[in-house]
Amino acid sequence: MGVKSKQARNLATGLAFLAPNIVGVLVFTVLPVLFSIMLAFSNWDLRRHNMFKDEALDFVGFDNFVRLVTEADFLRFLGNTLFLMMGIPFAIAGALCSALLLSKDLRAGGGRPYIWLLASAGLIVSTVLLVVSGMGGTGMVILLSGLACGVLVAGVAGGTTVYRTLFYTPHFTAGVATFLLWKKLYDPYEGPINTGLAPVLNHVSDGVNALPPVLTRSASWLCLALAALLFLWALRRLRLSWVDGDLGWAAGLVPVALLCVPGAVAQIWHHTAGRALWLGAAVAIAAAWQGARVAARGKDFDSSAMNGIGSGLVVATAAMVGQFVLVGLSALLYALPELAADGLEPPRWIHEYHWAKPSIMIMGLWGAIGSNNMLLYLAALTNVPQELYEAADIDGAGRFQRFWNVTWPQLAPTTFFITVMSMIGGLQGGFEMARTMTKGGPAGATTTLSYFIYLEGFETGRLSFASAVAWALFILVFSVTLFNWKFGNRYVND
Amino acid sequence: MSTTEPKPHPTHRGAHMRRFAGAGLLHGTLVAVSFVLVLPFTWMVLSSFKHLSEVGVGSWLPRAMGWHPENYAEVFRQIPFGRYYWNSILIASWVTFLQAFTSSLAAFSFSRLHWPGRDKVFMLYLSTMMLPGLVMMIPNYQIMISLGLVDTMIGLVLPAAFSAFGTFLLRQFMLTIPSSLDEAAEIDGASKWRVYWEIILPLTRPGLITLAIFTFMGTYNSFFWPLVMLKSQHRYTLPIGLLYFDSTAGQETNLLMAAVTMSVAPMIIVFVCLQKYLVRGIQLGAVKG
Repeated sequence: MGVKSKQARNLATGLAFLAPNIVGVLVFTVLPVLFSIMLAFSNWDLRRHNMFKDEALDFVGFDNFVRLVTEADFLRFLGNTLFLMMGIPFAIAGALCSALLLSKDLRAGGGRPYIWLLASAGLIVSTVLLVVSGMGGTGMVILLSGLACGVLVAGVAGGTTVYRTLFYTPHFTAGVATFLLWKKLYDPYEGPINTGLAPVLNHVSDGVNALPPVLTRSASWLCLALAALLFLWALRRLRLSWVDGDLGWAAGLVPVALLCVPGAVAQIWHHTAGRALWLGAAVAIAAAWQGARVAARGKDFDSSAMNGIGSGLVVATAAMVGQFVLVGLSALLYALPELAADGLEPPRWIHEYHWAKPSIMIMGLWGAIGSNNMLLYLAALTNVPQELYEAADIDGAGRFQRFWNVTWPQLAPTTFFITVMSMIGGLQGGFEMARTMTKGGPAGATTTLSYFIYLEGFETGRLSFASAVAWALFILVFSVTLFNWKFGNRYVND
Repeated sequence: MSTTEPKPHPTHRGAHMRRFAGAGLLHGTLVAVSFVLVLPFTWMVLSSFKHLSEVGVGSWLPRAMGWHPENYAEVFRQIPFGRYYWNSILIASWVTFLQAFTSSLAAFSFSRLHWPGRDKVFMLYLSTMMLPGLVMMIPNYQIMISLGLVDTMIGLVLPAAFSAFGTFLLRQFMLTIPSSLDEAAEIDGASKWRVYWEIILPLTRPGLITLAIFTFMGTYNSFFWPLVMLKSQHRYTLPIGLLYFDSTAGQETNLLMAAVTMSVAPMIIVFVCLQKYLVRGIQLGAVKG
């Protein structure tokens, strides 16, 4: 009796403290979720159900979801979203590099050398300014060299904190304001990127025209060959970890499929199609040989099917992005002599169909180098046990080996966490960019799923269809979360 | 680089020089990256002082037309920019205050009080964090219509005032506070409210500050919800107001850059002043997915 009443009192107190929050969560989260599920299975369209016209609201079952697959829009905008997410590996690499740079001791190991450094920084600054002004440099040159010198002096005086602040500012200020800034930077006629790029490209096209075409052609071939080598290298790594039992068979197939994507895309690209076929054949032979070696020698250790999918995906994604870069470069080099004959024009960035997505990714990289991810990496780097580095030094490991064998594995949990978070964010991203910079264009090239939901829900008024898209997005996000739950812990313990 | 030297010998001259060169190289790389990252902001500030006719010219510095600091005044003349500032700060302050208050109460309940079903309810809370905000936008807008809150300040503040994320973050902070403190207070006869108000809340201050910065900056920067909710110009927040200079009504890039500079500057100042809390907060896991 006494216990019961005490429990009831505890419940009352607990709920009383919870009440202000839980009422809000119920009204603005739980209720909308239920409402949204109902919407997704009905046919609420503001063009048919409004204050002038009130047709009956019907439950239509899975019709909205079927339309996601049968109408081209959703799949196309999902493709856009995934394409823009290819910037994530670059963003993570940038964050890691900046964290590595910022984690180094800037003070040159003590007081006296640091004073010398400070003195020489001051000397450099004054010399540069004197030279620039003495040689009658334009205002631009003086401005930019002054800026660089200012950063150096501030960095020497303030140390890591100053650089960290400068690195982090683009990420921290990201929003409508910086998107509008980038829209103006990308302006094809008045933006500083193109006004700066045009004279440079003139020199480049002069230079290319002077070169024998065979040089660019062979460079183009070289890039394709490097892409093929990268493919084989990644395949070999996967094979070795499969043989060692670090990788299960099912976990190996997904990365291999990813690795094949750039090659398949190269087949349909105009400038790489024919040549990629030849290389593809060569690569297939090499891959078959690798497969045969595995079959002949067999597996040393057994492992479950999905074992090690995390590290397999990291290797495969890195190699896939690298291959894409090389294949793209190859196509560019192949077409360069033709393009340069008429003089090279700077691209029209966000106003040009094929350049719009890369432009957005470049802008994303600007904000991602010094992001939250950099801070997470910085924290993780300070937690790497110093003994491991000492052991590596005793073994005579070089700088690269220290990174690859000590730092990188120790950072694996952080990398996994960052990757999952970036994927969840990337799937939901792109609305602010699309609304402020491109209106989703040109011709829908930069319409992501979030902007699509906005368009359908708030512009067209197809509330039910928009809700169905939102739930499809939720399923994508949720599958990434599930992946995290299932493999995150295992990967962390590896 | 200095840390890669296995054993520094300060007396050895060669090692000395190498470390000196290494630090110089490191500074050089850091300056190069910072330089590139800062360039867009440099162009932004310089363009905001230009005459409109010189914005598209290759030189970043104003030329014959000279410097035009009056661009900043012109922004305030063309649109009620001060009003937008005030609206943004007012809304962000209310959201921050309400979120910190309701979240800390809920976090106290989840971390300090023992009631049946507590952990199940907490799991439900956590699971709402996985929902993309986009799922809730359309129904929430319809709810706002039926409550008659479209195009009002309350309609902007209310849905953002209750946060499962804030509850989670503060709960994690409260769990690190030793429970002997509040147990001692309870033996002395303090009520639960006094334990919350006089013991737990002051000790959660670092967590509250972190949450407050994130919430404030997030609301200050928020775009989707104000965009669909606000209809009348005098209620616009900064991000919505900025769009004016990029519309058909105004294509004056110099004024846009002045407005952008004025809306970015407070964020940079806040970051420089409070980065200690921010960095620690992010590293403690305060990153919103």
